[in-house]
Amino acid sequence: MKVRQFLICLVPLLAGALPAMAQDIPRTADGTPFLQGIWQAQTRAAFSLEDHVARHNMQAGLSVVAGGSIPYQDWAREKQQANFANRAELDPLNKCYLPGVPRIMAMPWPFQIFQTPEHVAITFEWTQVYRLIYAGGQEQMYPGFEHWMGDSRGHWEGDTFVVVVRDSNDRSWMDAAGNFHSIGAVITERYTMEDADTIRYEATIDDPEVFTESWTISYPLVRQTDMDRLLEYQCQAEVEEANGAFERVDNLWYPAPIPEENIPFDASAGADLPLPAVPADIPRHADGTPDLTGLYTQGGIANYGLEKRENLALFPPANGVIIDPVDGVLPYQRWARAEMLERREPWRGYDDPTAHCFVAGIPRSHYVPSPYMILQPPGYTVVLHERMSYRVIDMNRREHLPDSIRLWMGDALGHWEGDVLVIESANYNGKAWQNELGDVTSHAQTVREYYIPQADGFVYRATVSDPIAYSRPWTMQMPMPRQDGELLEVACLEDNNDLEHLRDVRDEHRATLSEEQ
Amino acid sequence: MKLQGIARLLLLSCIFYPVSGFSHHSFSAEFDIEQPIALTGKVTRMQWSNPHGWIYIDVENDDGSVTNWALETSAANNLIRRGWKREDLPAGTTIVVEGFRARNGTPTANIRGIQLEDGRRLFSGNAEELRN
Repeated sequence: MKVRQFLICLVPLLAGALPAMAQDIPRTADGTPFLQGIWQAQTRAAFSLEDHVARHNMQAGLSVVAGGSIPYQDWAREKQQANFANRAELDPLNKCYLPGVPRIMAMPWPFQIFQTPEHVAITFEWTQVYRLIYAGGQEQMYPGFEHWMGDSRGHWEGDTFVVVVRDSNDRSWMDAAGNFHSIGAVITERYTMEDADTIRYEATIDDPEVFTESWTISYPLVRQTDMDRLLEYQCQAEVEEANGAFERVDNLWYPAPIPEENIPFDASAGADLPLPAVPADIPRHADGTPDLTGLYTQGGIANYGLEKRENLALFPPANGVIIDPVDGVLPYQRWARAEMLERREPWRGYDDPTAHCFVAGIPRSHYVPSPYMILQPPGYTVVLHERMSYRVIDMNRREHLPDSIRLWMGDALGHWEGDVLVIESANYNGKAWQNELGDVTSHAQTVREYYIPQADGFVYRATVSDPIAYSRPWTMQMPMPRQDGELLEVACLEDNNDLEHLRDVRDEHRATLSEEQ
Repeated sequence: MKLQGIARLLLLSCIFYPVSGFSHHSFSAEFDIEQPIALTGKVTRMQWSNPHGWIYIDVENDDGSVTNWALETSAANNLIRRGWKREDLPAGTTIVVEGFRARNGTPTANIRGIQLEDGRRLFSGNAEELRN
């Protein structure tokens, strides 16, 4: 009888213990839990981490703080309450600023986790924000410089991925209720898979300047099964398109038709351009695939002009990056070249999307003068741009998104042809510029790109087919040297003092024009 | 005339090579190459930010009044990678700068060279060179 009673007790104990041991979760070949996938927090913590009643555009919700309330110092609770009272004006998210950690994790937008032994990347649908978590024991290269999203270092403790976030600035909030921390805050996150479709997320905030003791929040992250890629929500771009600060370009943005005046597009021109050779001594993964992992920067030369040019204001002469057509001249439609030349006028500088801190698009993201990191998690090539945008290249999917879905960064499908990574992309919205000098792109562009591995980096080649702005495909090529270093963060919008100057120049020009009329 | 001469000299010495790395907007749309400027003033604040850093200095005008100028520098990330820290430019430091004035007429300039009073150059090249 005693044995039977023992077994009866043991069964529920075992049953209770099983989920915690999480036997049925995806794992990598070495047994590490595999967090990769599309997830979204199941919580109302984005509105407030604590118990809260409903307000306009805020759902009511229960506290996710262990113990119920945040243990503020008295002065800090007063500040939080003042933040809450003035949230319409003060909430950084209302200005589309970077949300910081842990706020980004609880927002009602999906995010995608990518996992390699050395890195875990989290890309968010909200405004192309990403987090890069160094997970291979890398020492922090630039300690002491604050970032909106902090500096994240991860390691595994059993089946839990533990991430320590330091060097967060004190400008972000932790929710829409004005909860905040100081620069000295250390946030320790714990990601534990409870089953194949649930991650238990916990974050402990240790910040003696603001709180009387450390405190912990917890909520589940739930696997999203309704999509196989994230889409885009570009917060500031949507705001400025809605309020008129960023104006629609009818003949380039989706769904502009091909202009009747155009020279017919010769799609076959330049099709047989040979590729540079891949040397034998390139870095490779264990399975033999070329290893492109690393930090790259092109230095921005193409950002100041794709074509060969003589002196242009402060820019020195350059040979250009166009290898087809062989004369290095872009095969513009006549009206599109006129548009490009007009964009060089000071009063058009305001129209460059990157001046507004919008994403650079493709191929421009490869040659803006700031670095990017390439990761190769299973099934993807992920490119994280320091200017806080990212591109996920799906190595398995073979069909693009429906034609009506249009994105700043397009939809990229990748495959290997021998040792060359080939990327086919489409679904662009036509809002980007090709560079700072205003080379033109439209929604009709499709791009075939090649990452051609070399011993010290790769050669980047992109063939752009755009039957609206050009009369035939054209190809650019440039070296992409691998370099030492880590990604920092470019928070652009948050301190962008330039746009008002550019707007003044544009407005003065428009006033002059209307006076002349 | 003197300012034009400085600008020409700097152009010749290629100090004006484009520019502030991390540039996210057209230089010539915001700043006017026809308006070179040289300023001496005391630092009131440095905004260590991206996509550009900003140094604010008080400059005494000919009539004795003081104007606070906003000076656009390279991106903070660019400076960090070259070993610079924001403490390298404390408030109160007198600096000499050359650059180009903003087209909209505000006391704003994009600067290419920063010198301390003793002639050492700041935020160009490697930080260690100055500290050593």
